[in-house]
Amino acid sequence: MSNATDDLPLAERLGLVSYRNEGRSDPEPHIEVDTDICNSTCPHKCTTYVCPADCYKIDENGEVYFQVEDCIECGTCLYACDQGAVSWEYPDPEGGRGVTWNYG
Amino acid sequence: MEESFDCIIVGGGIAGLSAAMVLARNDAQFLLIERGEFSGSKNVSGGVLWGRDLARLVPEYWKDDTAAFERFITHRRLTLMDDESAFSLDYKSDAYAEPPYMGVSVLRSRFDRWLADQVESAIADSAHPYGSFLATNVRVDEVLQNDSGRATGIRAGDETFHADSVLIAEGVNNLLTRQVGLHDDYVPADHMMVGVKEVIGFEESTLEDRFQLNGDSGLTNEFVGAAATGGVEGGGFLYTNEDSVSIGLVLGMEDLREKGDPESESTPYDLLTEFKQHPVVRDMIQGGEVLEYSAHTVSNGDIDGMPREIYDDGLLVAGEAANLLLNAGRAIQGMDYAMRSGILAAETVLEAKEAGDFSADMLQNYRAALESSFVLKDMRRFQNAVHLLHREEMVDLLPTLVCDLGHKFFQVDGTPSKKVHKLFRESVNEHASYWELVKLGYNATRSL
Repeated sequence: MSNATDDLPLAERLGLVSYRNEGRSDPEPHIEVDTDICNSTCPHKCTTYVCPADCYKIDENGEVYFQVEDCIECGTCLYACDQGAVSWEYPDPEGGRGVTWNYG
Repeated sequence: MEESFDCIIVGGGIAGLSAAMVLARNDAQFLLIERGEFSGSKNVSGGVLWGRDLARLVPEYWKDDTAAFERFITHRRLTLMDDESAFSLDYKSDAYAEPPYMGVSVLRSRFDRWLADQVESAIADSAHPYGSFLATNVRVDEVLQNDSGRATGIRAGDETFHADSVLIAEGVNNLLTRQVGLHDDYVPADHMMVGVKEVIGFEESTLEDRFQLNGDSGLTNEFVGAAATGGVEGGGFLYTNEDSVSIGLVLGMEDLREKGDPESESTPYDLLTEFKQHPVVRDMIQGGEVLEYSAHTVSNGDIDGMPREIYDDGLLVAGEAANLLLNAGRAIQGMDYAMRSGILAAETVLEAKEAGDFSADMLQNYRAALESSFVLKDMRRFQNAVHLLHREEMVDLLPTLVCDLGHKFFQVDGTPSKKVHKLFRESVNEHASYWELVKLGYNATRSL
């Protein structure tokens, strides 16, 4: 058993989260990111450091990319991105991904 | 389904379920649509449900063994902290231990689910036991409006459902409220915060010993200071549940964006880790087991963040979809606002049904009722406090100053002690100026 004061890596934290359609390999993404904007005109690339689930990552070439799998539908990127790169909707209960909280 | 409802409620959280309860008790017919697997499955809160509206909706809920509240709050603590110290304002009273309680801690995945069960029972006992429904796992894609702009129902995928009114209770990420034009398509970050939280499990007896809990009594602890939030505007919280604590940070989103950068370790989860390792916090959660990590946006209580209007032709907006929330330093109130606004919206729907008039003219009674309730009265009255709490000095200066004063006052080290006014002057000279303090004190007294 881990101690609550240990430095729990994000991957382990997200490992505690239950997701809908967990077995589905290609969930329909409920967020679309126009990363051309992130990688051309965006002055801060803030989604890469404000997203609580680290869905916005930077590759070895310094380019922003998005992956939906760990998204916990918190909504942070919906507001934090002021460059118009993020289109957001709620995940489709059938084909989408998204979270089911056990505690909430 | 061919029938038409008195109301379609979008969202089965606290606002939606509270409205549904009022409608069911008054024999109205409604359809409540929840996109999660069950009510609460998509919800995150701190969270304490303050106030006594729950006792109105579910009388004597505390006698129900299945009632899914965690603990009733008798112990309040506000902690100012610097890197190694904490200075607290602490109040505990048995006067709060009697039902109807002043506040109860909740975990939404359990609480909302239970509340939905209570609504189901109320439907079963109503004049139309087969005329109202709670539907889960359905996403509402669109509010339907006719040519004159009157809301007539909703579309979910290929299906449409019709009603005399639509109550939007979709939560803070209010996509439908935007779609019907009551809120801007893009809502900027400056009125928004992000909460990150862990639920940490303990043996119940360990929890009760550690936090001096008695039976089902509980503690709330809020934390203020750069040492809690890594210098980002906002604060920390710890609430006791039945056999766990909810611990987390609420961080100003604009500040988080401005103070961080892709290279730094200033993500919400990094800051949460640091908060948990603060010596004062560490000693509270030592030995517990992390059960869940969660996050959600939350509005910051600035009334300017509200939608342009919270009603329209055939349409009402309740709960955090209307950005109803207040943190004026006394308590973080959101769920009680959701509950009251849901109740008032439903009462307006009942009036409209009685009058056979669901026009905007009629539904503006909801706005009027909310204005004369504690919800908008308090939000308006305490706006200055909201702005004060978000000032830089509240994060940086005040907690440092108070902790330094505490350090000097409580220090007994075999050297001659100074009088308090002298210690105070020393602390002020080290950390601030009298002028700054006078300004802060003046604003604080006026705003609270």
